[in-house]
Amino acid sequence: MELSESVQKGLQSLADPTLSDLKTFPVLIELAFRSLLTAHADCSVLDQPELKRIDQKLLKHCHTAATTCILEGVKQNVDKSTISSCLEDFRFDAERTDVFYITYQVMTTLLWRCPPHINDVSWRLEYPIKNGHVHKVNEPSYLIFIKQNTNNGGSSEEVNFSCTMEQLQDLVGKMKDAAKSLEKAMQL
Amino acid sequence: MLLVLSDEHKEHLGFLPEVDSAVVGEFGRIAVEFLRKGTNPKIYEGAARKLSVDAETVQHGVEGLMYLLTESSKLMISEVDFQDSVLVLGFTEELNQLLLQLYLENRKEIRHILGELTPSLPHYHNLEWRLDVQLASRALRQQVKPTVSMKLHLEESGGVKSAKVLQTDPATLMHLIQELEKALAELKTTHCRRILRNIK
Repeated sequence: MELSESVQKGLQSLADPTLSDLKTFPVLIELAFRSLLTAHADCSVLDQPELKRIDQKLLKHCHTAATTCILEGVKQNVDKSTISSCLEDFRFDAERTDVFYITYQVMTTLLWRCPPHINDVSWRLEYPIKNGHVHKVNEPSYLIFIKQNTNNGGSSEEVNFSCTMEQLQDLVGKMKDAAKSLEKAMQL
Repeated sequence: MLLVLSDEHKEHLGFLPEVDSAVVGEFGRIAVEFLRKGTNPKIYEGAARKLSVDAETVQHGVEGLMYLLTESSKLMISEVDFQDSVLVLGFTEELNQLLLQLYLENRKEIRHILGELTPSLPHYHNLEWRLDVQLASRALRQQVKPTVSMKLHLEESGGVKSAKVLQTDPATLMHLIQELEKALAELKTTHCRRILRNIK
């Protein structure tokens, strides 16, 4: 794995026992993974009581180094030996390497999330005549309800939207393109 | 269908014949701009200073115009009906023509703005799709499992866009296509055609 000098320095600090003991180190690593997995950036992610005694600037540097290292690892889909030899270069002892790799394995399975799976679709054709703000609307409109299964298996959610006839034709056209490609691909 | 103007409304619009038609044209432009982007009270003060009248009189005049335009656009009244409704105000022919032009040029846009006020579901914007084939997993090797991933782009009436990522298998995709084609075909049936033709 190729890592910049700044990231290398950050990792060396992470390995330093005077900076983080074996209680604080797992917390730091887990926080690095959590920052990558949550959808929105959380500015208070490093405000943990266990990390209070560490210099904040150094803490941020280590956090950045850890997240960059994780992203490089995931990008190249590294195995245990590659990560271990990489961390050994930065003077990580065996225990810290183990903690890192175990957390890496657990968290990367969470990265392989599946989008919700579509079950069914129902539709409604409407002809709005007027509403409180505009009279003489007089334009047919479709309401489409797409039923899906979420990852939690079993529970069903719906994606609901409206569209005009032209938009529905566009949607169906694109789905038909997908189906045609599927057919062609299956024939190969 | 005639527009019925209240006495207060007629009073507010009564300011318009007292100024030049160029000024009325300018007020009309300001009224449409306010409908598009919201009001700006500073403009009333500037105009009031130039015309040597109260800021409140200018405000009533512009607001009266805004209300005239929104009500006419909402009801989509015809040219003739608009002219007859405005006749009640006793303005000059030139002013009446100016107001009519203002209405005809802007009614489509105003109806569109009013349409955004109605409660509605997000509407369809675009669909992107991708074909994936799962070839193997930890538990099972040498598979061929096709999936279609789709990104559905939706837009709310305020212009807020969102995108939902969905996945489906080939059989469900064919079912979706069939159902939605049935929906499209429904619009061409005699029943729907009769209703669309007769309710205008």
